Amino acid sequence: MPLLSVKDLTIYFNTDEGQITAVEDVSFDVRRGEILGIVGESGSGKSVSTKSLMMLNGRNSQISPESRLILETDDGPVDIASLSHVKDLRLVRGHSISMIFQEPMASFAPAVKIGKQMVEQLLIHTDLDKTTAKARSIEILSRVGIPDPELRFNQFSFELSGGMRQRAMIAMALSTRPKLLIADEPTTALDVTIQAQVLALIKDLVAEFDMSVILITHDLGVIAQTADRVAVMYLGRIVEQGTTRDVITSPQHPYTQGLINSRPSLDHFEDPLTPLSGDLPSPLERPQGCVFHTRCAHAIKGLCDTQKPPVIGVAGQDPTDEDAHNTSCHLLSPSASEQVLVS
Amino acid sequence: MKQFGSFIATRLFLAFTTLVIVSFIVFSLMELVPGDCAERYLAFKNTQGSGISVEDIEAERVRLGLDRPFVERWGKWLVNAFQLEFGRSCILRVEISQLLGEKFLLSLAICLASLVFAYVIALPVGIMAAASENRFLRNTLSFVSYFGLAMPNFLLALCIMLFSTVYFGNSMTGLFSEDYRDAPWSMARFMDFLGHVWLPIFILGWSATAFALQTVRALVSDELGKLYVTAAKARGVTGWALLIRYPARHSLNPIFNSLGFDLNRIFNELPIIALILTLTDAGALLIEALARSNDQQLAGAIIFLLTASIVAVNLLSDILLAALDPRIRKGIMI
Ligand SMILES: Nc1ncnc2c1ncn2[C@@H]1O[C@H](COP(=O)(O)OP(=O)(O)OP(=O)(O)O)[C@@H](O)[C@H]1O
Ligand SMILES: [Mg+2]
Repeated sequence: MPLLSVKDLTIYFNTDEGQITAVEDVSFDVRRGEILGIVGESGSGKSVSTKSLMMLNGRNSQISPESRLILETDDGPVDIASLSHVKDLRLVRGHSISMIFQEPMASFAPAVKIGKQMVEQLLIHTDLDKTTAKARSIEILSRVGIPDPELRFNQFSFELSGGMRQRAMIAMALSTRPKLLIADEPTTALDVTIQAQVLALIKDLVAEFDMSVILITHDLGVIAQTADRVAVMYLGRIVEQGTTRDVITSPQHPYTQGLINSRPSLDHFEDPLTPLSGDLPSPLERPQGCVFHTRCAHAIKGLCDTQKPPVIGVAGQDPTDEDAHNTSCHLLSPSASEQVLVS
Repeated sequence: MKQFGSFIATRLFLAFTTLVIVSFIVFSLMELVPGDCAERYLAFKNTQGSGISVEDIEAERVRLGLDRPFVERWGKWLVNAFQLEFGRSCILRVEISQLLGEKFLLSLAICLASLVFAYVIALPVGIMAAASENRFLRNTLSFVSYFGLAMPNFLLALCIMLFSTVYFGNSMTGLFSEDYRDAPWSMARFMDFLGHVWLPIFILGWSATAFALQTVRALVSDELGKLYVTAAKARGVTGWALLIRYPARHSLNPIFNSLGFDLNRIFNELPIIALILTLTDAGALLIEALARSNDQQLAGAIIFLLTASIVAVNLLSDILLAALDPRIRKGIMI
């Protein structure tokens, strides 16, 4: 039984210009103790889909009734989408699930001491009293590698460096010992050295805290270093999913291939960069059929622009297997090639 | 704590400097008014029938010290102003402090009370209007506050007077009943005062509240969209604890900064309300001093006192804000 099982997640936003589909039919599992990477361009729906696990998308968002977000808890499975009362939502807001954000500066309240924000969370989710909550906070600040934690406890976020802030954020997120940590581009704002340290820290903590992590990034290098499995998102859909090794060494979907080829490489620095051609379509003009066909070099007219591709197991694998390498692409579906021949 | 001390010292110094500059402007303006106090008084005397010569005017100038250089007279005026001594009115020839004393304090009290009234309502309602999940409630609150803005104070005052005259046979004007108007302060007079003063406070507070409501709502809405609020929600913080500790607290900075403006606006509206409700207060006195009798000594004193009150409110709000917001205390933001 996976810790979290997301099935057919579809999320709409009601905007002045009309309804936007930000996430469509997304399914993935997160197993205990694993790091699942989610990678994709800006606007592909990485944040929206993971925020929905804490019901944090704003008032104008809507989750389709078919969507299932099943979280295993000590008291049995819970469908997150069915939690309506704010008090019930605490289960996924800081208790079983915690989140750290891309901008560590902006995610601390500027006028509230770091320690106060940590203690506040512990008082909400545990039976600890103030003194023990403070001791626990300082202990975990020191665990994530913050020197002089007692001093930091009484400081404000603007008094910390970027790397320290992100460590403090991790400390705060882990203080309630959640089962799942969502890290939404946790290192984008940091320089490479600090980035490596923070990623190493997260990896260490997975085993120590017996938790799972969803790591969001647009950097395949980060995925290669840290994630056990990876899901590639494009325009609100998962186009390819599998173990990190499978997806990175033999990408099947043209989008994944494009992502990998557009990475600058130090070994072949004279090679020209091959960026993905074309622009991301506006969310208001969502492509029919396969969402990627407008930018796909191999798109088949009459098929890719009309029909949604099914999920296919690569090389004959059963797509429902735990570690299966899946992709959604007509080019790889045996029936599709026949159809092209017929037409 | 040391930082806080030096912060207060800096602000005090700034407030003092502001007042010195203001006093210079006010004093220069008093000078710019054609004619001086000596001329004016004697011209006034002239109309009463006593013949006055050029020599008389000169003698009066020397007596009032008007023949001294500008800087010296300004310095003297400034030093006295800080001790709330403004000399004598040009025309009435009475001590200005005596003329103004209670009236100015009453006006200030009414304006401050209106300001407090405005924010006591605007803060909770504005936060609710910004944060409520209930669309109907949000829209109703916006409508009410737009309505409050659109309805001028004097119209409201007239309506209330009309209504109470028709239904209670009492126009509810003035600050005291007949019996207490000239009586010395006593408990009974104070109670009588309270029974009257709520009306001007309410009327002046009316549009101030509507205005403050708009400010609070807009600022809190802004803060609500920020990442740290989402982050706090993601930690399970909910309800009023969330609103007060996060968006509301972080909107205080611009709200506090606008307090001085608000007081200024209320002061500006005071004269017309005072006229309608026949309150004999400083605002009305100012208009009289400026328009009718060219009494520059009196006008200068009133303008200086007004500015000093606003500077004092700003100083207080700055210090309060610094106590609440570490970024200001620690000199990150100014
Ligand atoms: N509150 C909202 N209202 C309307 N549309 C929204 C809202 N939030 C997100 N979207 C839309 O949903 C889509 C997915 O956004 P999301 O933030 O999940 O992208 P992302 O993959 O996290 O990108 P990035 O790498 O830039 O963070 C975008 O097209 C965005 O415009
Ligand atoms: Mg994002």
